[in-house]
Parts: sequence; C-alpha cells; structure tokens
Amino acid sequence: MSNVTEFPKGGCVLAGINSVLGAINRVCPIYHSGPGCCMQTTASDAGQSGHKSSCFVSAVSIPSSNMLEKEVVFGGTNKLRTTIQGAIDIIDADAYFVLTGCTAGIIGDDIASVTNEFAEKGIEIYPIETPGFTGDSNLGYETVWNTFLDKVIEKDVPKDEKLVNIFGIIPYHDPFWSGTLEEIDRILSRLGLRVNTFFTKGQGIEDIKKSSAAALNIIVNPWLFKGPAAKYESKFGVPSLRIPGLFVGATDTSKFVRSVGEALHLDKDLVEKVIADEEKYVYNYLGQAIGVLSWKRFAVIADANNAVGFTRYLANDYSFTPVLVIVSEPIFRPEDKETIIKEISDLEYAKPPKILFLTDQYEINSAIREEEEEITLIVGSSNDREIALEKDSQFILGAFPMSERLIFNRTYAGYRGSLTFTEDIYDNN
Amino acid sequence: MPINLSNSNIATRENRIGSITGYVGTLKDLATQSECGTLKGCSRCFSQSSTCLSSCGLGQLSAIRDVAIIHHGPAGCSVAAAGAYYMSRVMPKKRGVTSSTIYVGTDMNENDTIFGSTNALRNVILEVNKRYSPKAIFVSSSCATGIIGEDIDSIVDEVRDEVGVPIVAVHCEGFKSRIWATGFDIADHAVLQEIVQPPREGVKTNKINFKNFFESARPEIIEMFKNFDLDPVFLYCNSTIEELSHISESLATTCICGTLGNYLGNALEEKYGVPYVRSINQCGIVGFETWLREIGRVTGRSEPIEKYIQEQRAIYLPQIEEIKNQLEGKTAVLGMGPGYTFEVSRVLNELGIKVVWALAWHYDKKYENGDVPPSMKYLLDNDIDFEASVADQQNFEVMNILHKYQPDMYLSRHPGSTVWAIKNGTPAIYVADEYMIFGYKHTLEFAKTILDAINNRSFEENLAKRSKLPYTDWWYQQNVDKFLEEIK
Repeated sequence: MSNVTEFPKGGCVLAGINSVLGAINRVCPIYHSGPGCCMQTTASDAGQSGHKSSCFVSAVSIPSSNMLEKEVVFGGTNKLRTTIQGAIDIIDADAYFVLTGCTAGIIGDDIASVTNEFAEKGIEIYPIETPGFTGDSNLGYETVWNTFLDKVIEKDVPKDEKLVNIFGIIPYHDPFWSGTLEEIDRILSRLGLRVNTFFTKGQGIEDIKKSSAAALNIIVNPWLFKGPAAKYESKFGVPSLRIPGLFVGATDTSKFVRSVGEALHLDKDLVEKVIADEEKYVYNYLGQAIGVLSWKRFAVIADANNAVGFTRYLANDYSFTPVLVIVSEPIFRPEDKETIIKEISDLEYAKPPKILFLTDQYEINSAIREEEEEITLIVGSSNDREIALEKDSQFILGAFPMSERLIFNRTYAGYRGSLTFTEDIYDNN
Repeated sequence: MPINLSNSNIATRENRIGSITGYVGTLKDLATQSECGTLKGCSRCFSQSSTCLSSCGLGQLSAIRDVAIIHHGPAGCSVAAAGAYYMSRVMPKKRGVTSSTIYVGTDMNENDTIFGSTNALRNVILEVNKRYSPKAIFVSSSCATGIIGEDIDSIVDEVRDEVGVPIVAVHCEGFKSRIWATGFDIADHAVLQEIVQPPREGVKTNKINFKNFFESARPEIIEMFKNFDLDPVFLYCNSTIEELSHISESLATTCICGTLGNYLGNALEEKYGVPYVRSINQCGIVGFETWLREIGRVTGRSEPIEKYIQEQRAIYLPQIEEIKNQLEGKTAVLGMGPGYTFEVSRVLNELGIKVVWALAWHYDKKYENGDVPPSMKYLLDNDIDFEASVADQQNFEVMNILHKYQPDMYLSRHPGSTVWAIKNGTPAIYVADEYMIFGYKHTLEFAKTILDAINNRSFEENLAKRSKLPYTDWWYQQNVDKFLEEIK
C-alpha cells in the first residue's frame, strides 16, 4: 500500500528478475515494457551493488518493446512479436525470457501466446508474467526460479549424489554475490562436492535444466526461497538445507560445513579435516595482527542475510559488542522475522543487540540518532553513511545499496571473507 | 509554440517540436529535410532499451535544495532516489552549502493499481510536509498511475492550502515519449508553473541564468563572467526556491546544452522577456567565441567580451594548434544527445578529426521558436557533412556502425554506450563532464584526452581479444537501418 519511504532502496520485481537472468551466461531478457524500465531496473539493482553489470547483455543492450501511448491504447502484442523476432535475429543467446513491465501488466497483453508462437518454432523462449508493481527485487529472485521450476528444469535427470545447488544470494543485488558464491564453491569443493552456483564459472541454462539431479539444495538465507524450495522437493525430489543467515568467520562457516556434511552423509573425517585446515588458515592470520583493531560497539544496517552474518561474526568471533541491528529490506511474514531475530540474538558470547525492521531511511536515521548506547562502528549501505558521519562513528560500507565501492570478487563470507571483512574494518572503507 | 503554464501537462517533444528518434542518412539530408519540413521520423520494429523521461525530469528537480520529490509509483520507479540522494547530499557539500532535499517513493502495489490510491497519496503528501517542512513539493506520476488514471492534479489542488508551500504535479509517465529529454521540459514546466514569480518592480540586476547539469565549473565561470560584470545563476543543481523565484528578472538565459535549456530559455523569453541566448554552444573555439559574442550582444557587453576573447586566444590557440598536428586525419564515431552530437562534431572538425558517423539520441527538427538547431545550421553553412543517424541509444546500431567503420575512437556522453564500444576494442571517450569541451582551456584538455585515449589502447585491445559480444554475425552484415519502418 502506498506509504512514505524516504530514499527507497532497490527495485521492483522486474529488477530482481533482470538481475538473475543477467548473471546466467548467454541468457537474454526481452522487456515488454515502457522505454525506461530496462535502465531503471538495471540502475536499481546492478547499478547500486558495487558497479558490476552483466557481461552478456545489460542495460542499453537489452531488447525492449519500449511501449508508448499507442501500445497502451491499442495493445502491444504486435510490437512484442517484432521485438522478439529482432532479438532472435541479432542476439546470439542460448535462451530468451520475455518480461512484463507495469504497462503491459495493467493493459493485459497476452505475452504467453506471443512467446509460444516462437517456442513452437523451436526457439528456447519463456514468458515471465510478473509486472513490476507486484513486488520488490527479492520477489523477482523467487519469480525467476519459479519459472525455471515450471518450465525449464528437466525431469528424470539421473541423480548425482555429489551435486549441490546454492540459493539465497541474489546476483547484482547483494554487492558481494560473486565473491560469496565463489567462497562457498571453494569450501564445498574441498568436500568433494560439485557445486551449482548458477551465476559463476560461466554456468548457463544447461546447468539450470540439469539442476534436478542435485542431491541437496543449500539455501543461504534466513527467509528467501521457501516456495521454490518446496517445489524443488515435490516436483524433482531435491531436499533442502536452509542455512538461516550468511556465515562469516570460522564459527558459523564450520557449522555450515558440518550441516552440509550431515545432510549428505559425507565422510566425517574428511569434513573435520577440511574444517581444521580452514580454521587454522584463518586463525594463523588473525593471530598475526592482534590488537591492530580497536575494540568496537557496533550497529549493522543491512538486508537480513548480511545482517545475520556481520553481527554474528563481530559479536561471536571477534569480541565486539553488538548494540543495534536494523534489517533494512522488507520482510513481510512474522515467522521470517522470528527466524532472523533468533539468529541475531542467539549469540554464544555477547548480549543480544536491539533488533529493528525498518525500510524507510527517515526511520533508520531516527533509530540510529536516538540510540542511547554508544555506537563506535556502523556497517551499512551508502544511504547510512550520512548518519554515521553525524554520529561521528566509524563506517564500513558493506550493504546494498552500495554506490561508492567497486566490488569484483570481494566477499565477507566464509573463512577467507572474514579476513577481508577484518581488513576493511582497519582500512575503514 | 506558445508556452501554456496553466496546465500541468506539457506536450511531448514529438508533438511540440516534431522531434524524432529514427533516421539513417546524412547530416545534410537530415538538415535539408528539417528545413523544408519533409523530415519524417521512423520507428523501429525491433528496439533495445531506451531511458525513462522520469530520470531526466526528477533528476533535475531533486537537485534543487530543500524540496521534496514524491514519486507516486511502484517501487521500481523510485530508482531515481539513488541519484537524488547524491544530488542532495554530495553536490551541496562540494560547494559548501547544505540541502535537505528528500526523495520519497510511495511503493504502489497491485491493490493500488486496481482500487486506486488517491487517498493514500494525499496522506503521503501531508506526512512528507509535516516530517520535512520542504520549501516546495513536486508530486510525480508514473506509468502505472498514468494508465489507471490517478488524478494527481486534483489531489495537489486539494492539499495546496494545507501544505502552504508551492506544490505541483509533475507528469512523468514513461510511455508518454520516446525522448527522455522530454523529462527536462517537464521539470522546467513544473518550475515555471509554481516557483518562478513575475519580476519585481524596479529590481536592477546583472544576473544571467545559466542552465547546466552539475555546476562543476562554477568557480571558473563565475570568474570569467566577472570580466563582463555578469553574475551567473546556475540552474538547477543547488538552486534554492528563492533563487528560482527570481530568474524572471535576469538579463538573459543561456545553457550548456540546447536540449537541456531550450524549454526554460524560450519560456522565460516568451513570458517575461528574458532574452534566450541562441547560438552554437561553448564547445570548441568557434563555439565559445560565437556564444560569448551573442551574450555580449544580448546584454550590451560586447566590448569587454572582445577584449577577453583576444587575451584568451593568445594563450590557448598556439597550444591547440600544436596538438592538432597529432590528431589530424583520425576518425571518430560519436553517439550523444542532440544537444552535444552536432556541437562535438564541430569541435572534432576543428581539431582535424574526421567524423565518419554521428548518432544523435533524438533530433529536434526545430526549437521552440521554430528555428533549426544552431549547431546543425553551422555545420551546413560550413559545408561539413558526414553520415548521421538518429537512434534512442540503440546499442545494436552503434555496434553495427563501429564494426563497419572501425574508427580510431568512439565518443559518447552515456557510460552504458561506451562500455560496449570498449568491449568491441574501440577506444572510447566518455564525455561525462558537461564542461569537458568548454572554451579554449577545456578544448585543449579535451584534445589531450583524446590523444591519451587513442595512444594507449592496452585495455581495449586486451579486453576485446578475450570478449565475445552477444551480436550475431548476421547482424553485422545488415544495413544500420534494417529495423527502421515508417511511422504508421
């Protein structure tokens, strides 16, 4: 419902869909929308998450029907038909996905029929009928996977007991997405697993089609992907393991490794050997820079996944004191909020911080401004830098939207990422 | 065309000044056809992404200090918030002033598109007014509100007395126009409607309105205008509502980009008699001199301006001449808004660089006063011709052209466009800063930048060797106008 959101973060459902498709190699989105939706959606997610944009097609190179008044009045299916034909002619892609903007959604253009005309000719093309106004980019991530589950992923693919699928990290939205997926891939590969990240290593539509062969879906997120996970299980028999928040640092990453080991009945000795090895690596470095960072009382303002990861690492692994955590993405289901609160509160060492769910920048700023306890470190997004300056607190730019850092493969996740996080706290990026 | 400030809706560039986005041919043909009125734009049966006029419209308004922008639309439309945040938090700091401008999205959802949300919008406006006490409020529509017919004009009228500050409806339905620059006109229209006041009696001033994007050369231009006893008022970046209310009193209006300033300049002239400086723009040598002389003529300051020109010529012309030798004969393709394309083409010509193809993102057949844009007229009068096309940023056409002509450089004012040229292995110069080619000094710097870009191609060549572009071989073999068709 219409409400007041100061400096809103992120994009609409279309932005989330575009982000995911952009991260899959040789996949081409086709917009059936107004002339601005492509640039708006690219700007809202990829444009604000560390300045990477899709290699294959992105922004100005994405086909779009650029609907104008004429199409609004008389319908835009003819324009869509010629746009699809043109896209097939000039873009050499493995698969095409037709997306709808608000305009096409409201006037009710039948994109499925038009798309089907091309599918019948043997073109790999699918419609995603979810106009922008139906939700935010998080929903877009789930929408794409629902489309894959309904139309793309193949049945009766022989099972591969060493294959796992990773979900919960949204590409071109989470600023650290590629580094995070690479770290997860690195760790799980050491356990002898083959990892579908879908968005790194040049993975493409074929990997998605065959993802039903996986022995396990690993969802690294406290709340996202519930619907698609259930569908994976019921339709393709792939069970899910939910890791209820990003793991940063040795404690949580080792816990993650053990849960994967148990779920897949992996050789315990191997699991423990990998853990011991990785932990030794991390603590060998931490041990070489003791006392370099001053002790902090901190606040985190981030999406749920990163908020859990950052808070737990700093409080549970690095002896900092958590004061306030603000989950700044929209979370609608009460049970999801409970999971997030539990993950942030359930700390072995520290007293749990205050936890708020706020998306409006005005309310976020007020909460930080009015916090009575001292805060000496804030981990947040570009929008939170100003309040950190006002509080005269150290600030780490670590969350979406992130417009002042270039992020290639950097991550704060996992074993190695926690070292980078610690470095950044010293460097004060 | 008369400016009608009694209606919050402004006609699009297509309807008002016959602007087009589809044409392939030559510069001469384009200009001749627009002069004799036979130019008809084409549409495309296939297109790639264009841009939303709301980014231009709200981008301009959110640069004004201490105002509130309310964008009534689904969450995705609110991406302009990122730019607005930068404009209101960073740009003022660069100049040492403050702004509390805020950008609010209304997060319209599916229910709102079915049942409407006028009541909710009313509450949003009142809440914003209470929370932030802005000096003015701009309430924008979006595609979704436009199609379901939300009457934002009536709501604005209803709350006008209660909010007690200027408030205006801004019509930013993205499907309205192919030409995102219509957004500049929409912003101007809103400012003219509610903010600009008639000149006060007896006020004497030496101010000149200078419409630009980011006032990045502010100190330098203030310094220059001091020589002529002129005081520039930069619009709208960091403008205050108070400043804007008095722009009707200025001696003249000028702008950095004809596309950006055309509507405001003409409206101020038509409504308040403030002369609008119509000349080629400040890019390059001839441009800079012509522009200064026109300001001199309009404001009665020709003498100090001639003196300034002679002094500056002595300093810079020999240096520019020297670098020209190294640029002679190089080839260029450029793709920019029409406010720059035909101006930069002229500068490249001055520097000895051969333009092989110029793309304009749109083309205004004539400006608000009925004239062919001055930059075009100059090229024609000087017998400069090259292949030209009009395309709303259509990347596949740009790539086709680059592939065929293999120019020494590609110049664009849009970063997304240079990305693909670089992947193609073409050295690309991102003419990002609006003052990058301003006057003698920056023309010299521009020439040096070009030289740097074409002399060291390590990144472009290494990247291109290892990148595969998404376009099919078939496409590279087609004519650029393959997908153009007559507008039905």
